[in-house]
Amino acid sequence: MCLGIPMQVRSVEGFRARCEARGIERDVSLFMLPEGSVAIGDFVVVHVGYAIQTISEQESRSAWEIYDAMLAAEDALEAPPAVTAVGVGES
Amino acid sequence: MQTDARTWLERIRALPLEGRMRVMNVCGGHERSISQAGLRRLLPDNVELIPGPGCPVCVCPEEDVYAAIRLSLDEEVILVAFGDMLRVPVNVPKREVRSLQQARAAGGDVRPIASPAEASDIARANPDRPVVFFAAGFETTTAPVVAMLHEDPPENLFLLLSGRLTWPAVAMLLDSGAPGFQGLVCPGHVATVMGPEEWQFVSDQHHIPAAVAGFTPVSLLAALYSVLRQQLEGRAFLDNCYPELVQPGGNPRARQQLAATLDVVDANWRGIGTIPASGFGLKTEWAAHDARQHFPIAEDASRKRAGEMPAGCQCADVVLGRIYPNQCRIFGNACTPRNPIGPCMVSDEGACRIWWAAGERGEHGARVAASA
Repeated sequence: MCLGIPMQVRSVEGFRARCEARGIERDVSLFMLPEGSVAIGDFVVVHVGYAIQTISEQESRSAWEIYDAMLAAEDALEAPPAVTAVGVGES
Repeated sequence: MQTDARTWLERIRALPLEGRMRVMNVCGGHERSISQAGLRRLLPDNVELIPGPGCPVCVCPEEDVYAAIRLSLDEEVILVAFGDMLRVPVNVPKREVRSLQQARAAGGDVRPIASPAEASDIARANPDRPVVFFAAGFETTTAPVVAMLHEDPPENLFLLLSGRLTWPAVAMLLDSGAPGFQGLVCPGHVATVMGPEEWQFVSDQHHIPAAVAGFTPVSLLAALYSVLRQQLEGRAFLDNCYPELVQPGGNPRARQQLAATLDVVDANWRGIGTIPASGFGLKTEWAAHDARQHFPIAEDASRKRAGEMPAGCQCADVVLGRIYPNQCRIFGNACTPRNPIGPCMVSDEGACRIWWAAGERGEHGARVAASA
């Protein structure tokens, strides 16, 4: 629950921003950051819908490389049970 | 140019380490990266990476989950919680409702949310009903919960807060005199919010090498290299291997909001017991939004095994880094992500679920597979 996700800011209105990552858009609160510190095009680390810090594009890209692998592993976990060398342990 | 993961690994392998070095991490996000990237397999045999107390769902008091379940069965109440909490079981007989998920199946209005802002939105959309937000989490999660409270929450929103601080659990292990680790990788996003200084005590008071890490293999290996090198040179300090996000003082606005809203209190950790000054409680000024003040939440002392981990479950030992997930006697046989017994197999941040997701089945799982 302490993992923040890098997202890019698409629009800003007061303390609310519309942010995007991997084609998915979310409303994000900027209430934890200094007022006016985020602009369109910036990257922020978002945790439970709140931006906790700004981040560089390079760092955002590096973080997503490992997150993509994590998400793939989680998807496999949620998939219907398949009979594999180890999967029968669940049956 | 940034040093890549391969180079960090080569540097780690080149260190003339003598004896075994056990390095603990205290963040489920770190553990996910380590497991997913398969870092353990790549390290020298005498370097161990131990998952420690990094899962707030896992240590959330059983009594609080029980209280949330009871509240959710009140037909007036809408109970909202982060999705991870819904499948956490409590210690009641099988014929009774054992989780928020089961409470929902039994007619309770239980709604998973992904952000504190959703709790506020649901309360606004249902002004005639009390909305209870069961908020478990470490500092990184508690700070957004508090930010939401500062954004004019509706009167019918109540917080059942189970916030915990990460560092006191590590302090407890170090104070025990037998922590079981010689180096610490400190949590990157907790330090982003609270500042790295919280972890200074590890090196200053206990002479244990420490480094704050981010979540990429590069950052984690850089932190590990720092810790190992500090040990080798006999010089412990707190290194910051995540300077892109972690700045001195952390996030000042978030810390200000936390300090204005919450008191730090002694708090219970499931299966572990009370850790001094390790929890958050709402200040009296916020009593109007405190579910513990608004609803009659009484501990039922007659309940058997209240506060404990489920029977047969060794999650407490996993959380404290005393055993690896696959050393638990029910990992992979009685306890799997589809049929979790312990909270460490429920949460995305739980070491057992992370190890399972990364393909670890353990001795017990292997035996089940072989006999099937």
